[in-house]
Formats: sequence, C-alpha cells, structure tokens
Amino acid sequence: MRIERQIEKIIQEHLPDLENGQETLDAVLEKFPKLANELRPRLEAALWLRKARFALATRPGYIHDSRKCLEAKIEETQPRGWLGNIFRQYTPQRWVFNIVAPVVIILLLALVINSAVLTARLSIPGDPLYSTKLVLERTRLAFTFDPGDKSNLYMEYSRQRTSEFVELVLDGEYDQLPAATTRLEAEIIASLHALNKISVADATSERPATAGLHDTLSNEIAMLRILQRSSPPSVYANIAQAIQVAQTGLMALR
Amino acid sequence: MPARQDNDRELIRRAQRGDPHAFGDLYVTHAPAIFRYLFAQLGNCMDAEDLTGEVFLKAWQSLPKYMERGVPFLAFLFRIAHNTLVDHFRQNNRLEQQAPDEMDGYHEDGTPEPVDTVGKLLEHQKILGVLSKLRPDYQSVLTLRFISELSPEETARVMKRSVGAIRVLQHRALAALRDELDEKQ
Repeated sequence: MRIERQIEKIIQEHLPDLENGQETLDAVLEKFPKLANELRPRLEAALWLRKARFALATRPGYIHDSRKCLEAKIEETQPRGWLGNIFRQYTPQRWVFNIVAPVVIILLLALVINSAVLTARLSIPGDPLYSTKLVLERTRLAFTFDPGDKSNLYMEYSRQRTSEFVELVLDGEYDQLPAATTRLEAEIIASLHALNKISVADATSERPATAGLHDTLSNEIAMLRILQRSSPPSVYANIAQAIQVAQTGLMALR
Repeated sequence: MPARQDNDRELIRRAQRGDPHAFGDLYVTHAPAIFRYLFAQLGNCMDAEDLTGEVFLKAWQSLPKYMERGVPFLAFLFRIAHNTLVDHFRQNNRLEQQAPDEMDGYHEDGTPEPVDTVGKLLEHQKILGVLSKLRPDYQSVLTLRFISELSPEETARVMKRSVGAIRVLQHRALAALRDELDEKQ
C-alpha cells in the first residue's frame, strides 16, 4: 500500500477520536512508528482544519431562514397556469386563508344582498330602493310560467300598490300619489289580462281567480274609502282617483 | 453515505417533478457543507451566504438536466459551487476579497460586536490567511475533505481527478498546510 493511502486511512480512522479528545496524537503515532515522521505534520494539519470547521459554520437560524427564501425564489421562477396558481403548494395557514376568505366574502355578500332585498321589499315610492323592489317583482313574474300563479302574483302586487298608496298618504308624501295611482291601475289591468289568459287556458280555475280579484279590489276600495275619511281635504282628489281606478277594475271584472 | 444518497435520490426525484419543498430538504442537508466550502475561501460571511443561495438556485435550474449516472448530488452541488466561486472572483478582485474586512469586529455604527462573534471573525481571518497561502488545488482539496467533509471519492468527482490523485494531492496539501502553520507561529 502506498504511503499516501496508508496515511489517508489512518487520518480517516483516527481523526474523529483525536477531535473528540478520546485519543492523543502521540498515542496514534505510537501505533505507527514507521510512519510517525510523515504522519505527525499531516495529522496536526488535519486536526487544525477540523477545528477550523467550527469557525466556518453558518450563523444560527441561517439555514432555516434562507431555506424559506430559496423556496420563495423557486416558486417565483416556476411558470404556472391559472389552475396551477389555484392549487399551488401553500403553507397550511395560507390554505386556511385561501378557503376561509372566499367563504367569508360570499357570506358577507349574501348578507348584504339579503338585507338590500328585505329593505327593497319594505320600500315605498320615493325610497332609494323602490326601483329595486319593482325590478324584483318583474323578475319574479318573468320566472312564473303558470297563468294561475301569475294572476295571483298580479293580485298580490295590486294589494302592495294599495298599501303603498296608504303609506304615502299617512307619511304625507302627497307628490308621489299620482304616480302610485298609475302603478295601481297598471297592476289591476295586468291582473285582468292574466285572468283572461286563465279563462282561455282553463275555465275551471277561472272562477276562484275571478273571486280572488273581486275580493282584492273590493278590499282595496273599502280601505281607500276609510283612508279618504281620515285624510286632509288636499288629498281627497288623489284618493278619489285611486278608488275610481279600483272601481273601474271591479266593473271590468263583472 | 449510501443512506444519505438514497434519501437524496428520492428528494431529487420529487424536486425534478417541481416540488420546491423537497429541494428545500436537500438544501437543509447540504447547505452547511457548501457554505463552509465557500466561507473558507471568501472574505466575509455575507458573500458566503449570498453565494450559497446562488449555488442552490443554479442547482434548481440545472436539476431537470441532472442525471445521477455515478455523480452524487453533493458532487454536482460542489461543482456548481466551485464555478460560482470562480465567477465571483472573476467579477471581484480576489486579493481585495481576501483582505481582512476593516469593519470586522465592529457594527456599522462603530459599536463593538459581541465577543464570540469577534472571536469567530478573527478565527475565520486566521484560517483564510493560512489557506490563501496554499496553491488553489491544495486549498480545494483540504476544504472539500476536511471542512466540507466530503469523501475522497466525492472530492475526486468535484475536482475531476482520480481518487488516487486526490490522495496524493491531499498528502502534499496537508504537509504544505503544516509548514504554513509553522511559519505563522
């Protein structure tokens, strides 16, 4: 065996023990007296290098911190499609955030929309959300295909218009009354048209629908008459017009 | 070492499929050795940290092309580290790099750093002072073998020499180092 190989082997075998202090340099040299002159300087140099390792070690926390930094850089360099961006590997906290954030946003949005719909349903002419209420009613009508149900809806909206009219009078919003009367008239006309369609399609269900509209209009007339008695004289004409509209509808029904 | 290579193999496979966390695990395993190799030849810790990051980023970019074929991953990394170091020295004046940092031992505001940090800096400068007096191939073999703790086979692959040639080089380099230490004392 060549001397370099022998010394290399000795260094490899004894260096850890020399470093830990479990063996002394002289004790190792005594085991290899023929190589002592060659071995001593090399073992000393190797020992010095092994000790130098500690002065060249990384500072505490460097590996952990720089790993994160490296992974982030790698993530940045990786080309991804939109699907890849959605399913990319995140930390558990990021995953929780990614799932919770849209759910919270959807819930909040649903809450806001629901509140807006409720507020719109309670609105009267002149309120900011009244147009939304009308849009919602038209939408509901557009998605109601059964003539009987459609007729019922028109009757319901006719009652709503009368209630709005009453509220406007009670709130003193007299300038809105002519427009409210027009809308009431439109609903009554639409109800009558819907009733005509029922009579063409199904004669048996026409009678209860007609009776329903009759009751609705009679109630509206009664309600408006009571309102007329308790209202200031300046709105008599408006209320009288609304009563006339309802009475015209009743006459047309007959 | 075979256990380490097996573990590396699995992590490399995952990293090649684009898993940055697997590459992060490889980084944790091998970065300390790469850092020591670079720090033993550079004037300051910051440069060694920057270059360590650069080495692994280059390794990540070259990973799709990496096929083991008898070259262990550690040797692959050290080759990149060696080339990065050469580039660094080319871009900066090597002598300037190896001169002791005038600020070492003091913060930028002039206040002294903790005693252990100062001690470590002085020790580093001493190591750098001794190693820089050796031939570049002696420096490389000693750093790879005793500071980065590579086996003779791995060192041979990094330095692109036979294992026998590495043994001879190490034998001479250790003697030269001992002489240099005597001269310093």
